[in-house]
Amino acid sequence: MTTTTPAAQLSRLAALRATAAAYPTEPFVVAVGTMVREMLIVGRADNHLYVLDSMGLPPAIGLGLCLGLDASHHEKVVVIEGDGGMLMGMSTLATIGLLRPRQLLLIVLDNGVYAATGDQPTAAAAVDFCAAARSCGFASTWSVATEPALQAALAAARREPGPALLHVRITLENAPSTYFLPDPVELTLTFQRYLDGK
Amino acid sequence: MASPETRSAALLAGLREIAPDYVFHLPSSTLKGILAGLDELGITVHPLTREEEGIGIASGLALAGRKPVLVIQDNGLGNALTALTTFPQAYHIPIFLLVSQRGGLGEYNSMIHTFCERVEPILDAAGIRYFKLDARIPLEEWTPTVTLAHQYMQTTHRPVAVLCNLMAGQ
Repeated sequence: MTTTTPAAQLSRLAALRATAAAYPTEPFVVAVGTMVREMLIVGRADNHLYVLDSMGLPPAIGLGLCLGLDASHHEKVVVIEGDGGMLMGMSTLATIGLLRPRQLLLIVLDNGVYAATGDQPTAAAAVDFCAAARSCGFASTWSVATEPALQAALAAARREPGPALLHVRITLENAPSTYFLPDPVELTLTFQRYLDGK
Repeated sequence: MASPETRSAALLAGLREIAPDYVFHLPSSTLKGILAGLDELGITVHPLTREEEGIGIASGLALAGRKPVLVIQDNGLGNALTALTTFPQAYHIPIFLLVSQRGGLGEYNSMIHTFCERVEPILDAAGIRYFKLDARIPLEEWTPTVTLAHQYMQTTHRPVAVLCNLMAGQ
C-alpha cells in the first residue's frame, strides 16, 4: 500500500476520462462542482448520477446504491468525489466500513483546494485518505499520481472486492466548462431508467 | 390510556405494515422502544454517524427501488436540512423519516426546546411535508397516520416525515 504519493501530474479531466472509460456501464455517482462540469466534457452518460449540490453526500448515496442494488447485476458502484467533499462526508467512511459493501469503489480526486470557489486550500494536506479508509475497515486502497498508475489501480479495483478507495492526486488545472443547470428530476429519471434497464 | 409505550407500539405497527427493507437510525431516548421492537420483528437497524448521511444512504436505496426508513430525533433535522432539500426534495426521491419530537409539555431537557419547538416552521419553510403525532391525536390514529404518510411519500415522490412526540408534546 502506498501512503506517500508523488507530485500530481494528472489533470482532473484526464482522471475523469480514465475512470469513466474504466466503468462505462456501472452506476457512477459524480460529485458537485467542477467534477460534474468536467465529466460532461468527457461525455454525458445515463449511468452517471450527477449530484448538483449536496456537498459531502456522494459517498453515502453510493453506499445506499450498493445496499439496494442486486450485486449480480451491478458488480461495481463507483463514486467520484473531491478532497473537499470527502472531508465533509468523512464520517461516512465509518458507516461504509461497518457495512462493507463489496461493490463500492470510492475515487477521491485530490488537488488540495476547493476548485469551484477559487482554489482555497482544503485540509487534505494533513490527511492520508487511504489510511483513514483502511482504519475504517475498507478492504483495498490505492494512491496514485500518474496515468499509468491510475490505469493499474482501476484495473486492480475491477478485480478486487470493495469497499475500496482510490486516491488520485490531481493538478490545479481546470478545463474550460460551463454551468450545468438541468431540472434535477430529469437526472433522477435518466438514472433510474438506466438502473431499470440494466 | 395512551402512554409512551402504547404510542411506541402504535408506531411500530405502522412500520410493520410499511415493511421497510432497511432502517437507519441515530438514537433518541424516546425511540428506544421502537428500535427494540424493530429488532424483535427481525428488521436490522443500522447506525448512522450523522443525519445527513442517512439522507444520502436512504436516497441511494430509494433510487435502487428499496423501501428505506430513517429513525431520528428532530434536532437532527438541523443536520439533515441541506441534504434533504438539495437531494431527495430537489431530485424527487421518496424517503421516509420517523422523527421523534422533543420539547413542549412533558419535556425535561432544558436545552432541547430551542430547536425542537421550531422544527415545524423550519420544515414548512423548507417545503418538507410532515405529519404530526402528539398527545392531541387519539392513539387509534397513530398507526394509520404512519402508513398513510408512507403512501403520501410514494404518491408525491418526495421525502416525508412523521413527527411523533411520545412523551406528550403540544
